[in-house]
Amino acid sequence: MNPDGTNPAVVIEARSLSKYYGDQLVVDDFSVAIEQGEIFGLLGPNAAGKTTAIRMLCGIVERDAGAVSINGAAIASARNRIGYVSQRFGQYAELTVWENLRFYAEMYRVTDEALLDDLLDRYALEPFRHQRAGNLSGGYQRRLALLCAVAHDPDVLFLDEPTAGIDPVTRKLLWDEFYALSARGKTLFVTTHYMEEAQRCHQLAFIDRGRIIARGTPLTIKQCLGDVAVYAVKFAFNPSVHKALLANEAVLLVNQFGLELRIVVANHSSRSQLEQVIADETGERLDLVPSELNLEDVFIALTQHRKAD
Amino acid sequence: MMWAIVKKELLQLRRDPRLVALIVVMPLLLLLLFGVALKLEPSNVKMAYLDEDQSIFSNLIKTGIWSDGYFQLYEVSTKQAVIEEIRAGRAKAGMHIPANFSALLAENQQPHVDFYVDGTMPSLATAMKYNSSSATSEGVTNDMYFSAADAPNVVIAEEPFILDTTILFNPDEIETWFFLPGIIGVLVMQIALILTGITIVREREQHTLEQLLVTPMKKTTFVIGKLLPYVFIALVDFYFILGAGWAVFDLPQPSSQLLLFLLAAIYVGAMISLGLLISLISQTQQQAMFIAIFIIIPSILLSGLIFPLEAIPQIVRPISYIIPFTYFVDIIRGLLIKKTLLVDLLLPFAALSCFVILFVTASIMKFRQKL
Repeated sequence: MNPDGTNPAVVIEARSLSKYYGDQLVVDDFSVAIEQGEIFGLLGPNAAGKTTAIRMLCGIVERDAGAVSINGAAIASARNRIGYVSQRFGQYAELTVWENLRFYAEMYRVTDEALLDDLLDRYALEPFRHQRAGNLSGGYQRRLALLCAVAHDPDVLFLDEPTAGIDPVTRKLLWDEFYALSARGKTLFVTTHYMEEAQRCHQLAFIDRGRIIARGTPLTIKQCLGDVAVYAVKFAFNPSVHKALLANEAVLLVNQFGLELRIVVANHSSRSQLEQVIADETGERLDLVPSELNLEDVFIALTQHRKAD
Repeated sequence: MMWAIVKKELLQLRRDPRLVALIVVMPLLLLLLFGVALKLEPSNVKMAYLDEDQSIFSNLIKTGIWSDGYFQLYEVSTKQAVIEEIRAGRAKAGMHIPANFSALLAENQQPHVDFYVDGTMPSLATAMKYNSSSATSEGVTNDMYFSAADAPNVVIAEEPFILDTTILFNPDEIETWFFLPGIIGVLVMQIALILTGITIVREREQHTLEQLLVTPMKKTTFVIGKLLPYVFIALVDFYFILGAGWAVFDLPQPSSQLLLFLLAAIYVGAMISLGLLISLISQTQQQAMFIAIFIIIPSILLSGLIFPLEAIPQIVRPISYIIPFTYFVDIIRGLLIKKTLLVDLLLPFAALSCFVILFVTASIMKFRQKL
């Protein structure tokens, strides 16, 4: 709900998208409705169908079923209202930063050089203006890609793993920009497999093997595992303990984090029983400490769960 | 370690079945094609003739030439038309038998018969001259000696008539005049096909195409935008190479600079749009290169550039006519050497233009705004 009581408009709407590659169903009944100003995160493991989904939304991959609308219009007539940054660096390596920006801006009939100058400045690319895009570091290449996608001031931005392979500082800088865009009423669709990035989104959907398996805000989406308890214990990695714990029906996830072992279990199971399992394997009785469920627990538990199906 | 690299290379090749098909099937196809097509001995060479004598003697000459199977004769109505047929390219040779032929023959006055050959292609001219000897063979001339029963012995010339051979258009039979104009076309074809052949595949391989496809550009915008710079570059290149031909090899000037420019523009347009089409049907730069090469080789061998079209068997001839380069060779020789009139070049010009339209349309249709 907007502050003035009206409902914000749905900007990106996808209904029942599906896509086959050969006879493999890579996106299955994919539906989303994303409101103006939202940053929507599509979270999923590799090969879950994230890239295919985002490409269908942008209209560069043919969909086998379903419909997409951007601001109520078909994608073909909304191309100048969207910006897209592909997963892989899609700018021309032989051209300079400025030449790339000029080119992509002109593809959207933007020729105001003063405006482009300002943008270059804002994305801290001014010092690299005459450098070839291919020689930029990964972080600056990402910035250039984003810059090329926003120069025509689109309403909607599609970002396919925008910070993959990027250091945390640059990632924060990019996200500050995403928030700034969102604050200006732009709608952002982001795919990622980084929890840290997913936490930053307003709305999330988990996708696994082509299907959305959970959706909500980063807070509410955790509830989709149901009533669970999380325990942590200082414990060095021991594969046989993992195996023994997973043999237990109630255990949803066993995950090692450095020196810490995290266990997610259905709430009804007893803590002492788990402690016993560990003791049986190691001969050492350890105290399981209750912990907070985090997004990564949910993500791995959900995707693992489905693999066991 | 070396074997690991060898194995890896072979594995990579095997993963590109289209490339494997290209390097296995295409050479085989070309080998079979050239095996059938490449004969050095022409047959059915067109000869225009005018027989103003219409006597049994002139008939003997025509029959003598015809019965060899080398020349295919057809009649025209004026002496000038004989030469014009050759200039227009409809005939490669011509013959004129004057009206007083049998009259002079009867008086043992050694009449002259004019024989013309197209000198554009010196090897063909030589062969035609050689084959024209069937007109003066014994079977023809046996019955051409006259003497009255009561006439005193006179010395009769050894030859009852004289065959005057004139080499038209390239009288000095300069080989470079014959080859060079076509070679310019080969060079331009090479540059055009390889330059444009990789242009879209490269965008695909470097992922810039994906970024382009989301923009609001139209298919036609993209295709024309891709064509224009290369058309310009290849056109400049064409004149650069031709200029060198003029400077170094003293190539003749064209009958019309405007027509030459028109030819350059249309030919370059056809080659660049063909290159673009190659780029659209290829999945990798390697594939594009191979397809380009497999177009260039038959173009050189089957277009009349080296071997006369007359030497290519009828069953293969249609292939010659679907090669754009064939028409280029025809026109540029017409313009530079034979000074052919525009009206006789209309057909090859139209054919070349059709190729441009065909390739551009196919490119626009083939280009999908999807990955």
